[in-house]
Amino acid sequence: MTPRWLHPGAWWLWSLCLAATASQTTNPLLLGLLICAAVIVVAARKPDAPWGKSFEFFLFLGAMIITIRVLFQIVFGAGLGTTVLFELPGISFPAWMSGLRLGGAVTLEALLGAFYDGLRIATIAIVIGAANSLASPTRLLKAVPTALYELGVSIVVALTFVPQLTSDAARIREMRKLRGRNSKGLKGFASLGLPILAGALDRSIILAESMDSRGYGRHQKETTLGRRVSVTLVLGSLSLALIGVYSLLTAGTTALVAIFIVFIGLMLGGVTLWRAGRTRIRTVYRPDIWALPEWLVSIAGIAVLGIFFTARTGGDQALILTPALDTWPSLPWWGILAFGIACTPAITTPPPPAFDIEISAPTSVEART
Amino acid sequence: MRAIPLGKPSVIAIAAISVIGVLSFLWPFVAPADSFLVVNSSETPLLFALIIPLLLVTVISQISDGGLDAKAIALLGALAAVISVLRPLGAGLGGIEPIWVILILAGRAMGPGFGFLLGSISLLASALFTGGVGPWLPFQMLAAAWVGLGAGLLPKASGKRELMILSAYAAVACVAFGFIMNLWFWPFSLNLPEQIAFTPGASAGENLLAWIRFNLATSLGFDLPRAALTVILIAVIGSPILQLLRRASRKAAFDAPTVFIETQRIS
Amino acid sequence: MIIFESVSFRYTEQGPPVLRDLNLEIPAGELALLLGATGSGKTTFLRAINGLVPHFTGGYFTGRVSVDGRSTRVNQPRELADLVGFVPQDPVSGFVTDLVEDELAYSMECLGIDPPVMRRRVEEILDLLGLTELRNRPLHTLSGGQQQRVAIGSVLTAQPQVLVLDEPTSALDPGAAEEVLAALHRLVHDLGITVVLAEHRLERVMQYCDSILLLEDGSIRSGSPSELMQTSSIAPPVIHLGRLAGWDPLPISIRDARRAAPPLRALLANHSPRIQAVPTHSPRIVEIKKVHFSYGDKAVLRGVDLDLDAGEITALMGRNGAGKSTLLRTLVGLKTRSKGTIHVNGVDPNTLAAKDLLRHVGFVPQEPHDLFEALSVAAECKSSDSDAGCPPGTTRALLALMAPDVEDGTHPRDLSEGQQMLLALCLIVAAKPPLLLLDEPTRGLDYPTKKKLGEVLRGLANAGHSILMATHDVELVAELATRVVIMGDGEIVANGPTQSVITDSPMFAPQVSKVLAPERWITVEQIAHALSQELA
Repeated sequence: MTPRWLHPGAWWLWSLCLAATASQTTNPLLLGLLICAAVIVVAARKPDAPWGKSFEFFLFLGAMIITIRVLFQIVFGAGLGTTVLFELPGISFPAWMSGLRLGGAVTLEALLGAFYDGLRIATIAIVIGAANSLASPTRLLKAVPTALYELGVSIVVALTFVPQLTSDAARIREMRKLRGRNSKGLKGFASLGLPILAGALDRSIILAESMDSRGYGRHQKETTLGRRVSVTLVLGSLSLALIGVYSLLTAGTTALVAIFIVFIGLMLGGVTLWRAGRTRIRTVYRPDIWALPEWLVSIAGIAVLGIFFTARTGGDQALILTPALDTWPSLPWWGILAFGIACTPAITTPPPPAFDIEISAPTSVEART
Repeated sequence: MRAIPLGKPSVIAIAAISVIGVLSFLWPFVAPADSFLVVNSSETPLLFALIIPLLLVTVISQISDGGLDAKAIALLGALAAVISVLRPLGAGLGGIEPIWVILILAGRAMGPGFGFLLGSISLLASALFTGGVGPWLPFQMLAAAWVGLGAGLLPKASGKRELMILSAYAAVACVAFGFIMNLWFWPFSLNLPEQIAFTPGASAGENLLAWIRFNLATSLGFDLPRAALTVILIAVIGSPILQLLRRASRKAAFDAPTVFIETQRIS
Repeated sequence: MIIFESVSFRYTEQGPPVLRDLNLEIPAGELALLLGATGSGKTTFLRAINGLVPHFTGGYFTGRVSVDGRSTRVNQPRELADLVGFVPQDPVSGFVTDLVEDELAYSMECLGIDPPVMRRRVEEILDLLGLTELRNRPLHTLSGGQQQRVAIGSVLTAQPQVLVLDEPTSALDPGAAEEVLAALHRLVHDLGITVVLAEHRLERVMQYCDSILLLEDGSIRSGSPSELMQTSSIAPPVIHLGRLAGWDPLPISIRDARRAAPPLRALLANHSPRIQAVPTHSPRIVEIKKVHFSYGDKAVLRGVDLDLDAGEITALMGRNGAGKSTLLRTLVGLKTRSKGTIHVNGVDPNTLAAKDLLRHVGFVPQEPHDLFEALSVAAECKSSDSDAGCPPGTTRALLALMAPDVEDGTHPRDLSEGQQMLLALCLIVAAKPPLLLLDEPTRGLDYPTKKKLGEVLRGLANAGHSILMATHDVELVAELATRVVIMGDGEIVANGPTQSVITDSPMFAPQVSKVLAPERWITVEQIAHALSQELA
């Protein structure tokens, strides 16, 4: 397949489905397979762009989550099980801290339970990390609804400024050396920051001028009536959501009614956005297409979630694992099937185009001479 | 100096989403044991993670309808970029991010509306840039928006007094941010050791204690140094940064009147 | 096309008027060149055309500006985006997106143009401006000339009838400037676009323009180039030469001047150019022996040998990427050579700590504001005194000498470009480094400021500094340098007295030399001197 960017929405749908899937189980084998699927797809389709590097961070984050979770279990002690691994000296705090206890016996079952629980959260983080590194943020911004145009532009501006700021920082560091100063320590950091900030602010004014002369912010004037309708819709939407959330919070109301009220509130919000979008004149250059590969990726995600959901409603015991020594995690056939489906985007999607950021070999100073 | 004017509807909208936001953080302490949120307490954070962003964009769209001109957008973008660059620096220091200085001082110099938007936009932009999008993002955006908004609402002062007020605010805001960012996912981890876990149906006092222990055990080690760093930075470079921001807002001429003087046409 | 009717403007109600009662008309399809010294209101004038003044800046506006019948009184700049394209001075700061293609499409997205039409126009502009190869490149990896062409392209996609450019070539080297000007020329001729541009480097643009707008103290005069150039105080060397020789009509291009030149040649036949005194037997400041440097596996410097003496002003010339910047950076210790030896004032700059470096070698960067940190000129000077270890007030006194009109409380970034350059120079010179390096010191400076800078540099050389400046500005080199070093592909390809080196090469020849070649005259001053002797 010829390289092209996959629609970022497809990646996000796939990854959110996998995250929802992960939240359904504590079986470490199934969770491990989900992580493997994410790793395989990222390895195959990760772009050579700054955001592509974030996946490693999420793997690290996952490891941290598990470690911290297990450490908590050890420090705060007390848990299920009888297989005592070792015993920590216990500390009891006075009653005003409502009898907090630390340490005590550490059981294997408790540790396993903590590990499974941590692994579940870590898996959610890692599959979401996959979307972060696969989907291009700038292309995601192209898909932002028209009503959020201003929000989208400010983020585009921010993403454009970031590489400029880093090259500013490198240049100003050099210049400080020319004046006989070094940029180490808190003070160095602070005085390096000030000129960079000054430069960024100056540049933003020029940018605003350029945006204004290039047609940014052209929109049709709304009538007074239209304006009032918009305001009413926004406030109506927020009040309904508020009422709904409040009812969920209190015991009396039926949950279904409350959720319905919240839903109507959100719908009204959607209508507001749609109305606001109408007054803005704006089109998108070369919008991302949604073709067969996008369908395949989304279907893969939904199918995996569907398999797990069916298993759960069918009461399949493989999903929930009690942390005990005599129960080994089982690996059902449908788990392997789901793993296979979750991996398909590694083959069914086009590879990302080369992102030739490395062309910036000469220093920016020379490039601008 | 108000870079982004807030009309009455925008103020009400911000107030409404803030109340919903407060509920989304504080429900573990106020909801009775048989309420829907508590019964499904491990799904509740995800429910709010869906509701908050949808409402937040509605509110942002309402604010931007009132007048988000090119100058405000460019300034928001530039400062969000500065914050995005500073965030990964903070990750190296164990989450002790120097970004709060910029957010608080910008809120102060440019007004509450700007602070609110900068808080949410900068966290969104940096999440996109560093690949940090997840269910935590809506809560971070809302909490940072409050920090920026609050900075814009601080009482009038100048010179040393202004820096004192800002430092005090920064210390409180940094610790509070850490604490409430622990709160949104706290009920989600069901199998935590009892003493630091959310217990559905327990009294508000007991849960509050458990939560405070949870904070002490997890984030306080980061929150206090972060607050200290922010206070130190405000003391050291707060004044020059404020001057730079005010100079930018003067150059952007947010307040300068545009007047067309009528003259008699000589034909 | 563009009509100004009794236009006056002031930023504040009581403030001084920036524009005073301007009346003029720029016809469709013309390339108009706006001239004026720094602070004459050029920036304001350009921004009044699309309504940025007063809508964006605020202020008090009298009269009426209309473009193609649409008045800026009722139209915001954004509503004129399909009529007037505005290209700011620094194209990089005006970029909204980070990829070439997205940037070209941005204006059209704002105007709500249909996607198929957008696609077609982007392809057209890519071809028209020769950007096809670059379409997928991130903008910050482009060269200055390429960035400027993208900036022009990005406003052209909205198909405006008027293009307003603020100094499009002053930051570019001659080759890149040529690319940009050729592109503009094509737009005027093929598409019939009206172009208004402000520019300091008159020697580059004069030949392309149809009319000149001369802005002095907020008032304007307009007319044909040869008419206005008779009296204008701002003029390129070829005009000064023409006026000196009394040519009529005044030739604007080198070609016309050559045709008018024979009588002058005859007059000068018995004279030879007066050459600047080159110091002899002065102490050696710099010894560079067989220096190599490479980025990865790309060799940038290959065995450079160079000696510099006190009192010399040496110009370092050559195309971009020839290694000029790298050589300067190696000399100041910002880059570490891979082979060879460097001695500056007897020591190796790489072994010096930052605080000692300043006493041996000073470097003034291309963007002087990169050096600034403080919030006011006074504070900047004060911190410079402590950097340099000289008595308090030294830097400020130096600045007062070079730029008397700079005020203490001003933010350094709010100074004009010329004042910024002089301030940066003071910050560096305060420590009295024997070797002074400058990178493109005249970028963006107008003629009077360049002249001022030239005097300052000559003074420093006479005081015993050795000055090495990397520059593309051949006129500056002709006026100022005692020696010229030309680099190519990391090696020194020519090294000798200014007179002989620059007249040998058409690429580096100043205008006077181009008119009078093969004789070795390089400045108008030399000719004036010779003529005065002839008359005497």
